[in-house]
Amino acid sequence: MPCSRYNPQKPMIVVRRYLLIALAVAWMGGVLARADGADDRTQPVADLAKQIASIAGPGPAKLTLRNLSSLSPEELPGIRKMLERDLRSYGVRVSDADSATTIRMTLSENTTGGLWVAEVQEGTEVHVVMISVSLRRPNETQMGVGITLRKSLTWQQQEPVLDTLTVQSADSRRMLVLEPRRLVSYGMVAGSWTKEQEFVITHGRPFPRDMRGRLLEGQGHLFYAYLPGVLCTGDQSEKLLAVSCSDSDDPWPLSETSGAQNTVPQKAFYNATRNYFTGVLAPGFAMQLPPFSDSTIFPRSNGMAMLFNGIDGKVVMVENNMMKSVTGTRDWGSDLVSIRSGCGSGIQVLVSASGAAPMDSVRAYEIPGREAVPVSPPLALEGPVMALRPSQDGTAATLVVRTGTRGQTQRYEVYRVSALCN
Amino acid sequence: MFRRFAISGILLWCALDASARTRQHYGGTLRVEVQSDPWQGPDGIARQLTMDGLTQMDTVGTVQPALSSRWESQNEDHRWQFWIRGNVQFHDGTPLTADAVVASLTQSCKYGCPWTKVHAVGQSIVFTTDQAIPDLPAQLAQAKFLISHQDAQGSLEGTGAFRAAGFPNGVMVFTANDDHWSGRPFIDTVEVRPRRTIRDQWMDMSIGRTDVVEIPPEMLRQASQQHLAVLSSGPENLLLLQLGSTGPLSNPQLRQAVALAVDRNALYNVIFQRQGEIAASLLPSVLSGYTFLFPPERNLNRAHELRGGAKPSQLTVTVEDGNPAMQLSAERIVLNLREAGFQVQIVSFGGNMQPDIVLKQIHLETNDPWAALDEIVQSSGQRVSIHGTDTASLYRTEKDFLATYTVVPLLWLPRAYAISERVRDLHLSVDGSPIIADATIEDVK
Repeated sequence: MPCSRYNPQKPMIVVRRYLLIALAVAWMGGVLARADGADDRTQPVADLAKQIASIAGPGPAKLTLRNLSSLSPEELPGIRKMLERDLRSYGVRVSDADSATTIRMTLSENTTGGLWVAEVQEGTEVHVVMISVSLRRPNETQMGVGITLRKSLTWQQQEPVLDTLTVQSADSRRMLVLEPRRLVSYGMVAGSWTKEQEFVITHGRPFPRDMRGRLLEGQGHLFYAYLPGVLCTGDQSEKLLAVSCSDSDDPWPLSETSGAQNTVPQKAFYNATRNYFTGVLAPGFAMQLPPFSDSTIFPRSNGMAMLFNGIDGKVVMVENNMMKSVTGTRDWGSDLVSIRSGCGSGIQVLVSASGAAPMDSVRAYEIPGREAVPVSPPLALEGPVMALRPSQDGTAATLVVRTGTRGQTQRYEVYRVSALCN
Repeated sequence: MFRRFAISGILLWCALDASARTRQHYGGTLRVEVQSDPWQGPDGIARQLTMDGLTQMDTVGTVQPALSSRWESQNEDHRWQFWIRGNVQFHDGTPLTADAVVASLTQSCKYGCPWTKVHAVGQSIVFTTDQAIPDLPAQLAQAKFLISHQDAQGSLEGTGAFRAAGFPNGVMVFTANDDHWSGRPFIDTVEVRPRRTIRDQWMDMSIGRTDVVEIPPEMLRQASQQHLAVLSSGPENLLLLQLGSTGPLSNPQLRQAVALAVDRNALYNVIFQRQGEIAASLLPSVLSGYTFLFPPERNLNRAHELRGGAKPSQLTVTVEDGNPAMQLSAERIVLNLREAGFQVQIVSFGGNMQPDIVLKQIHLETNDPWAALDEIVQSSGQRVSIHGTDTASLYRTEKDFLATYTVVPLLWLPRAYAISERVRDLHLSVDGSPIIADATIEDVK
């Protein structure tokens, strides 16, 4: 029986449709963000207006407004307008003209956020009222030319993040966040991650100051958490996670990308009192490797190669059981990972910037011979890289950045970093 | 002015904090020079290296666990219980116990303590007090409450990231504590050369003989002219006048006249070379956000009015810390007061005579505004009652205290250090002291 069919979609129509949807989403996002920003101010302004009115009472008043905070000047007219409107509702008629009542409003801030202060002067008597408000930070994106690295925020929190992992088991999907002192699991509820369980990580000896840890899916258990001197395993039991941790010197599985299936998986022994791998691998390459802070595996024309970022700042590559120095790595920091982007040669090594750089960043490199060649502009970051790990599908990297400076609350932001081909 | 201070004082800090990060190397020796005795004063560098507190402040001023792994308040902040971290030992191998902590706190706080009673309950410590102390965890992070005990030889032993290893050739040597509960420090050894004048410290820095030297606030400009790498804190030291409420200044109007007579701009512009922040309030702007509500301007006419033609007997002014900048400040203030019609003379600090006015600096150790207010008021020998926890309550408490005119804030000053090129990852804590346990040496591979 013939069934009715529509004509196939024309590519241009599809593209235009997606473009229109994207523009609409972007516009909606902008509108919502602005509306959200305005909402942030509405309640504090209303509260402050109420307090001012209770002092000034109905009648004319002169209002002055000054900004000592990090709010942009463009926000001031809106805040003033809201305040005038709210004061009017209490019978306070605001103008710029001199009046017996003067309201001096100052937008200030302290370590906990914004502080809006109103000084209500009647004659020589001055009354002060104030309220605390939240200051929101605008989101920023970074784009470049050539192969462009793009980052998208996947998670953020105040506690340090060592690694994250998404695991699927039976009918549930969870995100695991590994912190220095605990492992926290989140479940997806109504489109957002909601905390389900947390597990304190027990350990016999002190952890090192520069704490590192890795979450990996594995055989035998739902996941493994590797920490200095500690190995945790996680399993699901009746919809709940069960995590068991014990002191362990087991070597850590090294970073692998897809496409490395034909190689023997290497593990490396981690120095439990320091912040690096000892250089001893299992099964190893029948050669002595220097202590290294990170490593990654990537395909070359004649097979797979492994890169080791030595703690002495030198980068070596092991290829066909031969160790070679890699040049062009002067700007490299400690963390590196390879991703299967499909751009250029197909695989790039993403590397954090060296400590000498004024700002941290991540940059993509290819290594056609023995020299690392940058193939993307640096992706600027708002703080130092704390961890750089391959994503589970190997096409992107998971990046942990610590943001915030003194006087601000520091946050740990987790990004997915991917490459855009140009 | 504040903006300039923020830029000059915090810029390097911000830059360092936001800079890229190569993972820290282990090893090496850090050489530090200081003017004072490293064991003297609660924030002496030797104490900071070798001892830990029950709590500590992180670099953004949040209270974090230290020797106490957790705590809780009961009875509306009148009772606090802190649980001791397990498996911690003093450097001589003695296990850290609740009894040892209580003994240390009792020794370090003989009077004017925030608590009424402290005692051990199992592996926990219980503080009780007549007054609610919501900020006790922040207060316990102060250097004066660092935990120590006396070993068999009578020396003070701590649990800190470094242990004292000797004093050869006038240099104090501290070595890394491999078993520190927070992880071994990156540097192997810290050498502290005490009692070095600023001139000698800077000379040693110029010839590569040291890695960390002190910079007084009034010399920050000179340090930048000499292209020293400067690590500067935010407002950490409050320069203030403490006025006696008895004797010639028993009349509050006279104390107010003194407050109005002082020319803070002259101190800021001339003596302290425009470093820091002019202060008419106790808390710095970064903590309170409302300093503009306290006008710092001098008002000589009003000072004359308040004095009302009365000629109080001669006032005496003394300087608690006799460094040259403080001495110059005192002389300047004496001139200001004479212009307001007061008879004033400078007397030396100490002795039996109780001066009417004391010029002093108070070092702020906390980033919690309530704890900071407590700390400042307590250091002037007074107490404030806390009502409420919001910023408006904080403002009212501070305003009421300042209205007594027993303390006249003058300037907030930063703490600063010059560091050599081989030092990395050295940051300042919220109290402006260098966090040496997290620092590394660049030339160590």
